Amino acid sequence: MSAGGPLLEVRDLAVRVRESEGPRLVRDVSFEIAAGERLALVGESGSGKSTVAKALVQLDRTVEVSGSVRFDGRELVGARPGDLRRVRGSGIAMIFQDPMTALNPVRRVLDQVAEPLVIRGVPRREARRLAVAMLDRLGVADAARRAHDYPTAFSGGMRQRVVMAAALVGGPRLLVADEPTTALDVRVQEQVLDLIEEQSRELGLAVLLITHDLGIVAGLADRVAVMRSGALVETRPVDELFADPHHPYTRGLLESVPRIDAAPGQRLRTVADAVDDTRESADA
Amino acid sequence: MTRFVLRRVGLAVLTVWGVATLVFLMTKLIPGDAARVAAGRTATAEQIEAARQRLGLDRPMVEQYLHYLGGLLHGDLGWSASTKQPVAVDLQVAFPVTLQLVLVAMVFTVVVAIPLGTFAALRHGSAADAATRLVAILGGGVPVFWLALVLQWLFAVRLGWTPISGANGYGLDPPVVTGATLVDSLLAGSPQMFADSAAHLVLPALALSAPFLAVVVRNVRSTMLGVLGTDYASFAVAKGVTTWRLVVRHALPAAASSTLTILGMQLGFMLGAALLVEAVFAMPGLGTYLYTAILNQDTFAVLGGVLVTGAVFVLAGLVVDLIQMAIDPRVRSSHLAHA
Repeated sequence: MSAGGPLLEVRDLAVRVRESEGPRLVRDVSFEIAAGERLALVGESGSGKSTVAKALVQLDRTVEVSGSVRFDGRELVGARPGDLRRVRGSGIAMIFQDPMTALNPVRRVLDQVAEPLVIRGVPRREARRLAVAMLDRLGVADAARRAHDYPTAFSGGMRQRVVMAAALVGGPRLLVADEPTTALDVRVQEQVLDLIEEQSRELGLAVLLITHDLGIVAGLADRVAVMRSGALVETRPVDELFADPHHPYTRGLLESVPRIDAAPGQRLRTVADAVDDTRESADA
Repeated sequence: MTRFVLRRVGLAVLTVWGVATLVFLMTKLIPGDAARVAAGRTATAEQIEAARQRLGLDRPMVEQYLHYLGGLLHGDLGWSASTKQPVAVDLQVAFPVTLQLVLVAMVFTVVVAIPLGTFAALRHGSAADAATRLVAILGGGVPVFWLALVLQWLFAVRLGWTPISGANGYGLDPPVVTGATLVDSLLAGSPQMFADSAAHLVLPALALSAPFLAVVVRNVRSTMLGVLGTDYASFAVAKGVTTWRLVVRHALPAAASSTLTILGMQLGFMLGAALLVEAVFAMPGLGTYLYTAILNQDTFAVLGGVLVTGAVFVLAGLVVDLIQMAIDPRVRSSHLAHA
């Protein structure tokens, strides 16, 4: 491991659709995450957050990734497939937006959770024991028995726990959580976020939380990166950003969140308002 | 679960009964006098009348129908007017020939179509994908009998790699036990006979599988494309699996149900298409038997042949359903919900 360097260092990341002359989906994205740090990547739908998340370990084969992604001192852009596979799961783990679709419906939960261990040569019995232990740790009740069920037998919140178990069982150092709560109801959302924070603290796990929901950022993240139209506009510690957003777009995002302490009858601003303000001040 | 299986089996039996009834009615609607056919071309009026009574054709239709069904339950499919043998005996000879041809063609289809369709899906949009699809379309568009002739000309006549036609070379036909030459030569313990039987099957099976191969390749390709685009496929990749493991452990099991459905239906269609292949390669199978029976207005032979074909169709559907239940928890839970 590189002494003292960040765990993940992204420089000038750009993503474009393979074999197309079209515009880049993401450009000039640079950020870093220290070991154990929690960074939230926020932005509206279509801003390129998920594209960045997938590009880190090159999950999407239809796009071309350029720039630099260094994980633990090793360059991932242009890395050999075998090296990339070793980082996936055991270095950088991912969880997805919709736990209902992230599990294979025809495979038992136990096999899916144990898989990251099995493919790394852990003996099957040991892998299964560790998988059950991880399910138990993440709050799946009666894990030893339920692990033999298929995903259809689990509720949405439970499935997200199963997905997290499969992500964490390989002992990753960075968890990329791509909108992990969007598909869940509010109460389950909170449970899942608490779970992510808890695991992050206990395991010293760094987290990249991708979300469009600023409400969940404050409690979880150390720093926030704001993304818009495929580029980062601002990356700051979470307290600073909420107290004093620099970029008008960030301000717009924050002002578009309904607040309980707002004056009654006050109009909720949209991001577009904030951007219009910018244009007017630029024109003036 | 047991309840569902029983229901499904019951449904299959009902379907076969329906097929038997339909076929019976159809033979009654076909113009021509079965008694006259049975008695022979030069029969006198008395002889025709005697044949009519012998075959029970002078009885009321309902009685004939019940008599026919009663016979079916005992494995009695009636007498063939042209071979002068019980139809069941004729079918015991003809059916294994066709079944063997169809099963070998099916194995060939599966072995080629699944890897090819998967490969095309993995290389989605590439030249290899386009080439696969083109070959699939060509394979699907070529008439079976034409392809059979071309294969025969190329591999048997020009190259001399395979026998031209028939089931076995001179002196190499295994003693008949099941009627399927591959099985019989194994039972006879003769590798030489087995090799000879297999060599005689290569071209017919190839010709028969071509149009079905085309359908299955395209089906596997599109199913796999869908599966590989799912979140759970991405999640598997994010866990660090190899492409091989992604395909074998994740994608193929998820795609199996849909592919099985197609294969089960293809098996039935193959039985029908086997007629043309049997004709080109001079194989005395079910297709040839049925064809002759139809030309000779051989009522019970037609009934027997169609009934067996229908039964295989229904059985294939039943087997597919049961396998799906066994391997796919989605199918299982939906059946249990409706049981």
